[in-house]
Formats: sequence, structure tokens, C-alpha cells
Amino acid sequence: MKNLFVMSPSELIKQPLFVAFVLIVILLAVGEILSPGFTSLDQIIRLATVAALLGIVAAGQNLVILGGREGIDLSVGAVVSLSVIVAGNLMDGMNINIPLAFVLTIVTGAFFGFLNGVGVTLLRIPPLVMTLGMLGVIQGLLVVIRQGVPSGVAAPALADFVSEPFVFGLPGILWLWVGIGCFMAWLLRQTLFGLRIYAIGSNEQAAVMAGVPVRTVRIAVYTLSGVFAALAGICLLGYSGASFANVGSQYMLTSIIAVVFGGTSLAGGKGEYTGTMLGAILLVILQSILTTVNIDEFGRQIIFGGTLLVLMVFYGRGKGLRA
Amino acid sequence: MSKLILTNVSKSYGPTRAFKNGDFALEAGEVHALMGTNGSGKSTLCKIIAGSVKPDTGTVTLDGKQVNINSPQDARALGIGIFYQELSLATNRSIAENILISQVPLQFGLFVNRAALRKRADQYIDLVRDVAGEGFHADAVVANLRSDQRQLVEILKALATEAGILIFDEPTSALDRVQVKRFFEILEKLKGEGRAMIMISHRMDEIFEISDRLTVICDGAIVATRKREETSPKDIVELMVGGRSTLADDDGPQLRTSSIKEDKPLLSVKGMRGAGFQNISFTLKGGEILGLGGLHGQGQSAVLRALFGAAPIHSGELYLKEEIYRAGHQRRAIRKGLAYVSGDRVRDGVIHGRPIQENTVPIHAFRQYLFLTSFGDLSPKLEGALAKLSTKFEALTSSIDSLSGGNQQKVVIARWLIDKPEVLFLDDPTKGIDLAAKADLFALIRELAEEGLGIILYSSEDAELLNNSDRILVFNGGSITRELAGDERTRFNLYDAAYEVAS
Amino acid sequence: MMNTATQTPSAAQRFKALCARFPFLPALIILMLLFALNGFFNANTISARGITGLFSTYLALMFLAVGQSFVVFAGDIDLSAGNILSLVNVFIITMMNASAGDGATTLGIMALGVLVGAGCGLFNGLLIAALRLQPIVATFATSIFFTGIALYVLPVAGMPAPMIYWQTYFASFFGLPFVIYVVALLLVLIFLFSRSKVVLQLLAIGDDKQAAFQSGLPVTATRIKGYVLCGVFASFAAFCLTGDTASGDPLVGSAMTLSSVAAVVLGGSMLSGGFGTQLGSLFGALTIGLIGSLVYFVGTPASWQNFVQGLAILIALMVGILISRRS
Repeated sequence: MKNLFVMSPSELIKQPLFVAFVLIVILLAVGEILSPGFTSLDQIIRLATVAALLGIVAAGQNLVILGGREGIDLSVGAVVSLSVIVAGNLMDGMNINIPLAFVLTIVTGAFFGFLNGVGVTLLRIPPLVMTLGMLGVIQGLLVVIRQGVPSGVAAPALADFVSEPFVFGLPGILWLWVGIGCFMAWLLRQTLFGLRIYAIGSNEQAAVMAGVPVRTVRIAVYTLSGVFAALAGICLLGYSGASFANVGSQYMLTSIIAVVFGGTSLAGGKGEYTGTMLGAILLVILQSILTTVNIDEFGRQIIFGGTLLVLMVFYGRGKGLRA
Repeated sequence: MSKLILTNVSKSYGPTRAFKNGDFALEAGEVHALMGTNGSGKSTLCKIIAGSVKPDTGTVTLDGKQVNINSPQDARALGIGIFYQELSLATNRSIAENILISQVPLQFGLFVNRAALRKRADQYIDLVRDVAGEGFHADAVVANLRSDQRQLVEILKALATEAGILIFDEPTSALDRVQVKRFFEILEKLKGEGRAMIMISHRMDEIFEISDRLTVICDGAIVATRKREETSPKDIVELMVGGRSTLADDDGPQLRTSSIKEDKPLLSVKGMRGAGFQNISFTLKGGEILGLGGLHGQGQSAVLRALFGAAPIHSGELYLKEEIYRAGHQRRAIRKGLAYVSGDRVRDGVIHGRPIQENTVPIHAFRQYLFLTSFGDLSPKLEGALAKLSTKFEALTSSIDSLSGGNQQKVVIARWLIDKPEVLFLDDPTKGIDLAAKADLFALIRELAEEGLGIILYSSEDAELLNNSDRILVFNGGSITRELAGDERTRFNLYDAAYEVAS
Repeated sequence: MMNTATQTPSAAQRFKALCARFPFLPALIILMLLFALNGFFNANTISARGITGLFSTYLALMFLAVGQSFVVFAGDIDLSAGNILSLVNVFIITMMNASAGDGATTLGIMALGVLVGAGCGLFNGLLIAALRLQPIVATFATSIFFTGIALYVLPVAGMPAPMIYWQTYFASFFGLPFVIYVVALLLVLIFLFSRSKVVLQLLAIGDDKQAAFQSGLPVTATRIKGYVLCGVFASFAAFCLTGDTASGDPLVGSAMTLSSVAAVVLGGSMLSGGFGTQLGSLFGALTIGLIGSLVYFVGTPASWQNFVQGLAILIALMVGILISRRS
């Protein structure tokens, strides 16, 4: 990629990272004008925390979409909800239970992601169908678990990790998110696995010819999506303190939008997680402005939907039919 | 007055010039053949006339009036019908629906009139019914048809437009003799009706049988138009290759002298059969460049892909360094030291939108079981491999899409050079790349052969085969029909063997 | 070639040929099986009463799935279909409550409801086919947009439908329940559309967009038509839902969107486009309904019902796709 500083304005506007960054600045300014104090440090940290939750889910979604062949994971929201409940019940408000709860929750997420991956690759079920069906199964499972069992409570240490200042006044979850950002950058740029994700997403046929084990990589990608959703679920438990019904369902489509706004192509093979992080921040600021401003729910929804549509015109419009 | 005149038409795709300064005239009542090597711009010209490619410059004059063709719909309305080389069929629809897809007979303007659809489709199907083989009827689904039958459907679809101008872009490549004969009878009849037709075919005998005039395109430019009576196949071939000698390139190196050092076979194939080829037997020695010749699509690609494991082999024995080798999986093939370079780099080679380094490293990473791809350490190796082909690029981190076609192909080939393979399959590797890149590529291939690699080269350009192969196996109808070695390697013999029983 | 052709076709081959001719056959078989199982566990479900009940509950999903098929045929998707349904639902409810409530006015309001649905579909179609936005994300954004409008029309759920409306829905005419007539009407519509030019063109586009364009089909205009038809059928679905629930709810339909997609896939259509039938989508919607009732009647513990239902739908989706790939 060319250096951002030497680009002409017409080139810059085609750079999703740049567009997302500019939009974030504009939205923060708008927020400050509409509601003074919107950009205070406390508020920014709160926004970042909410964005981190979305961003962690979107990390998995990002990998799945990068892997191509209409890759998409509609079950992430349900996995988040499930993880909140599983982690909450296992922790039961006690710090000592955290390690076990953490491991089992991640394994649960990985399990469902793995099933998605197997369905998509070995049985060749279209990802949309496979993960949609899995969504139904997990939602059913949520009902099973909630029945009779008291809903879970976060361990105090977890709640502190997500909400209280940890290092340099920032809560632990933000450090975690930065860590995930670094991990994703390393994974996608420095490892053979990352290179292979791009290869199968960009040109699966060429990847096969170059010795890429396409199925293994794709199963791994869906499994990772489950893992990230589970991790987000654990954090969400810490954020909300206790589990509620279907807290994760909002992430199903917002995670996809964050990925798209971050410049990743839904066709696969193109995009980076850095963009997705900005996409998540952008979405969260937009939602936050709309909740801060004193307008009715309908107005919020109309403005939110309308803004998304306007933004989409900036991003990845399809190719025309005529060459 | 000419039926159709193109003036100063040009078209570029990014840095690649597909067509330039095209002046072309088509008369009513003629079959006008377009001749040219692969990637010379014939199809682009056809698509511009048919409205599916937008030209950068130029005007189109139809019946003396300048027209704007902005979409295939416009072209249809102006009376232009086209047979697309890559076919434009909806595979899950029936033959009848496909033939009349854009002019379905209707009831009340909303509903498909099935009876009329079938009746009208049958009128066209009847033209070829007796030569089309089994299962060719109005309700047959295209997905279930053989490739020759699909081609017939596309022909009927073009005919059903009843357009004054019909374009046929390689309509006969999958047809058998009888089907071609019938198709030509239809064309003669249309000629009598005063229709104007453009025809592309790689079979020289067919072109001379049916066409009235021939226009030769070379490297995206029209070089000459000749009447059939006033020219000969030899004449046309000379024009197609751009004045280069018909025997071999004058400026290029002369017939290759073998660099075989060992007499032990490196790869031997006995009685191999698979989709698109049968009864294939040959041996390849280290240091040898074995050429595969013949008309396009006679099984050469299919054999190479099968050997690399990208297509199934139904029967036959394979030995690699005198040990039994089981093909069928690309990853196994790569581990065993086989390498495959496809001419269709867009489909099989280039990982689009990714940096050059990521496009160069995958085979090395796979063979060396790398986990990390720290490009800092790897870049000397990558640059070394790329330098062997004098690849021109800005930086290893630049996107591969910023390169010209020839340089993209060099990157794809460089991927195999870091860890040297034993056998290199080249499947028409120079398709659509520039002359300088071709020269670099063949210099490298010769060098690799000197180093002891076994190389199998299929090329659709005969000069490349003649100049670079130690032996040439000529393919016809999926089998090897002739072997040319030593002084037999002449363009005449190659053409003779390729065309003799063009099935 | 020759010897296989001269042999008498095996049962598998004949089934394959039948499936090619009637793509909804696997869906129909699954449906009949479920129907028989339902009858086995509870005879009431296959009584006239049971079937009427099934229809009145699942008519909305049937209409929505048939509507979703239009866009899926072309390789597109509409994630806002359920939200269009909600919007039309609250639109007609508020209009009817504000009007005199006689039959003619109600019909007029319903006609306006169809226009609302068509308008939403047109909006989707323009964004996707003309502005070339990605169908999944674009219809997700419009789904939020439509929900906003629905919330403006009716901020909270609960406004009741006029008595005449839901009484008609549950009434009988000439000895047959009203919903049976509606099902018959839907079948007629499906039959007519199966013969229509627009569906043929949508399928050709879904098969290969570029080929369809090169063949001279009006690709953009046809895709827009597909979205408009989807919107219109969402409004029909809203009429049925309004009859069944007898009230307005601005969020009632959002959960139905994904069910409608599942129903289309269960019906044997390919999500990538080019292949499918609307009759199959109708069977798919009923399959979802029957799976629900079967799970109940086999005595699944209440808390496990959603899970078993979700699992059964997932398995049905997979089996359906694997069968149709075989044939």
C-alpha cells in the first residue's frame, strides 16, 4: 500500500482505513456538539470498552469473511450469548472459578465453530445456511441451560478487569483488545496460516495449486470465530455483571458491518483487522451518539439505518456488468 | 456499402492493451474470419460489437449510420447476435429456455407461453437434432449436456436472434466433424439470406472451407484483410505470427540441442487414461524438455493437470524416478518435487490483491514446513528467485495486481524456483504475456534443463515448442498421435500432424 | 455411454430424474414424513382442525418464504423481509383503527399496505441492483431503517386489530375455513409465477449474472423487480399475521426473516441462485411449522423444545442440501 501522506484526495477517499478514521473524528465532533462531555476521557473509555466487545467478536467474523467462498458466521451472536451463560454459571461469582470457566467457555465456542467449519467444508453446506442452522441450535441450547439453573454471575475479578482501570488508567479489556489487534496483525501478516487465509479467500483454485490445505485452513478459521465469540462472551459477562437472555444476538449482524466498514471485502481475501477495529469503533460511536441524543427510538433506528446505507456507498460497491 | 464498420476502436484493461486502432468492415452475405494467436484481441473485438465490452475509443457504423452500443440489449435491438466462446448459458434451465431466453414468447405479456416456446425452440433444435446425439431435446437441462451439445445450444441461441449480423467466437472447438459440417451448411444458407457473419476458429481447414474473407489480428492490431481466393494457410500463418519465419524464430535461438545427461527416466507414464485423454505413454528424462503439441484442447492440459493431481486419473501406471507414483493430490505432488505452472494465471496462479512476496513464498513455505513467514529473512530468497526471471517490480510488498501480465506470470513461476523441483509442468505458460517476458521465460527454462530438471512444455504457440523442445508429442483427440524428434521438428510437420485428422 | 443408456434406469436414477423435474420433491417427502409422524403422535394434528390451525399460524411464514424466493432465485437475499412485514402490520393496524372499519375501507387500507411493501422492496432493489451494494449488509441496514419507520407508526406493541378483520381470518365460508381459501390463493399465485417471465429471468440471472447480461437480459431491472415482489409478498404475509395475532407489533417480523431464508433452502432452492421453486419454499415453511409441533407432540420436555427444533431444522437443511446435490 502506498504511504497515506503521498496520496491525492481522490486516492485517499478510496482507502477504507482513512475514511473510517475521518468518519470517527467527525462523529466524535458531532457527539461533542450534540452532547457536551461526549468526548471526555471517561466517555471515551466507556465507548472503547463497548467497541472492544464488538471488536473481539468481529475478529473471528473477519477471519471467516477473509477466508472467502461466501464465508460468513451468523452464529457468533448466539455463541456470545451462550458463553455469557456458560461462563456465568461456572464462575458463580467466585474468582477461584475463573480459570476453569474460562477454559470451558472457550472450548464450547471452539466446538460450535468447529462444527460450522466441518459443515461448510466437508459437507459443503453454504456458510449462510450452516451458521444459520447452528444459530437455531444454540438458541435452543440457551433455553435448556437457563431453565431451572440460576443465571450466572460474573466473578469480581472479571468485572474489575472489564470495567475498572487496570494499567495507565485503562481497563484490562482495552489492553486485551490491543493484544488481540497485535495478535491478528501477526497472524495475518507473519504466519503461514494468515497467508493461507488470504490465499484461499482471494483465489481458492490458485491456493490449491500452491499446496494450501484449503479445508483444514477453513475449518480452523471457523473454529477461531467460535473462540473469539466465546472470549467476547466472557468479557461481556464481566461488563454486565450477570447474564441476561440473548445479550449476544446484537452482534450477529453488527460484527459483519464492522468488518465491512473496516474495508474487508465480503468476497474474501481482502482486508485487515486494523480496519475492522476502526469499523467497530465507528459503529459504537454512531450508536452511542444516537442513544445520547434525546430523540425517540424510531428516530434513532431511522438515522442509524440511513447512516449505514450512506456509509456503504463509500465501501466496496460491486463491479458493473459491462467490462 | 458495408453492413458494419468499426473505426479506430481500442480497449485496454489496466496496463494491458487488448486492442488498438481497429478498423474493420463487415459485408452483408459474407462469412468473415478473424485469425490470430491466443490473446491477440479477437474476442475483445467481438465483445465490443456485441455490447458486452465497452471500448475506450472508436465508432461503430451500422448500415451507414453511426450507432451507440451500450449494452448487449442495444446490440440485440440493432440486430447483432453472438456466440460466446465461454458460452452464455444458464445451466439449470432447459435447452428451449436457453435458446430463447431474451425473447421468450409470452401470454398476456407476463407469462411464458410454454407451447409456443417449445414450438419455436424446436424449429431451431430441428436444425441439428440428428447430429446432436442423445438427450438433445427442448426440455433437456443444459447441466446434463455434453460439452459439444452445450456448444450447439449456444449456436442455436445465436441463430434464434435472427439477427442480420452474427458473431461466432470459436463455435466449433468441441464439435465433431458431422456437427461442424451441419453448422457450415446452416452458415451457407444464412449467407444466401444476406446475413453478415464473423467467425473465429483455430482450425485452419475450417476457416478456408467456410470464410469469404479473412482478417488477421496480431498483438491487438489488425494487420491485414485478405480474400480467401487470394491467400493460403501459409500466408495467413505468416501474418498471424507477425512476419516471423514460419519455420522458427529468426531472432530467437535455433533448434535446441538436447541437454540430457542421464539416460535414466525421471518420469514415465504408461497407458494413462482420464477425463479428456486416453492411452498416454511417454518417458521424460532429467535435463529434457518434452514438448506437447497439437491443436488447442486436444488433451495436453488435461494430461499435465492430471499428472499434478488436479484432475483424476482413471487408469495407467506412473513412475517417478523409477518408483511407483500415485497422482491425485496436489500436495503430494509438490512434496515429491513436481511443479505445475498454468497458463491461466488469473484462475490457477495469481493470488489477487496480495503482495508479491505472498505470491512468491507459498511453495517454499509448504515444502520447508514453515510456520512463520518473516519476510525480512525470506526476502533474499524471494528476490533471488524473482531475479532469475528478471522480474520487474517496485517492491516485494507491492500488490501483484500492479504488475503486467508477463511479470505476474514470472512471479507465479518464481514460486517454484526457491526449492528446486524435479519435474516442471508448463501448461501453456506464455498465454497472453508480452514477447520480452516470453524470452526471459524460455531462457530460464533452458537453464533449468541444463541443471537437470525434467520439463514438459505445452504451448499453443508452435514457434515456442519448436524452439525449445527436445522432442514434441503431438496430441489429437486426447491421444498422442505423433512424436517429432531431431530434424523432424519443423513447423510443417507439426501442422501436418495437428491438422491431419482433426477430429 | 451406450450401455448405460440401454439399461433400464435404476430406482436411484429415476428418483434423480424426478428430482430434476420437480426440485421440491425432497422437501415434499420430508414434509409428508413429518406430517405422518405428527399424525402418529397426535391424531388431532392431521384432522381438518389441526391442519387449519397449522395454516393459520404459518401462513405468514409461507408468504414470506415465497417472497424471499424471488430474490434468492437471482442469487440475492433480503434480510429486511421480516421488517417489511412488521411495517405493513403496524401500518394497516393504525390505519384501520383510525378509519370507519367497514369492509371497503379495510380493503383500501390493505391495498395501501401492498404499496408500502412494494415501496420498501423498490428501495432495497435500487440500493442493491442499481447502486450495487452487497445484498446481505444493505438489507440489514434497510431492516433497521424499516424498523425505525414501524416504530414511528406504532411505538409499542398491542394496538388491537378491528374485530371484523380477525373474525374474517378465523371465519368459515361455504363450510371451509377462510385460511384454506388463502392457501388456495397462494397456490394459484405460485402456479402463475412458476410460468411467469420474471421468475424465468430471475433464475437465469441467478444461474450466471454475467451470462444473463451478455444474453441481453435486463439484469438490473429484473433484480429490482425481484425485490419489489419480495416486498409485496411480505405485505401479504403481514395481512395473514395481522389476522392470526389480531394486533400490531412493530418488531413482530424480525425473527421471521431468517426462518424465511431457512424455508427457502429447505424447499430445495439454492442460495447462490439459479435453481429452485416457490412451491418448495411453501413446503419449507410448513416443514418448519411441523417440526415445531412434532417436537411438542413427541413429549420433549418444555425446556428442550427449542433445542430439538433447532437441531431438527439444521439436520433437515443439511439433508436437503445433500440430497439435492446428489440429484
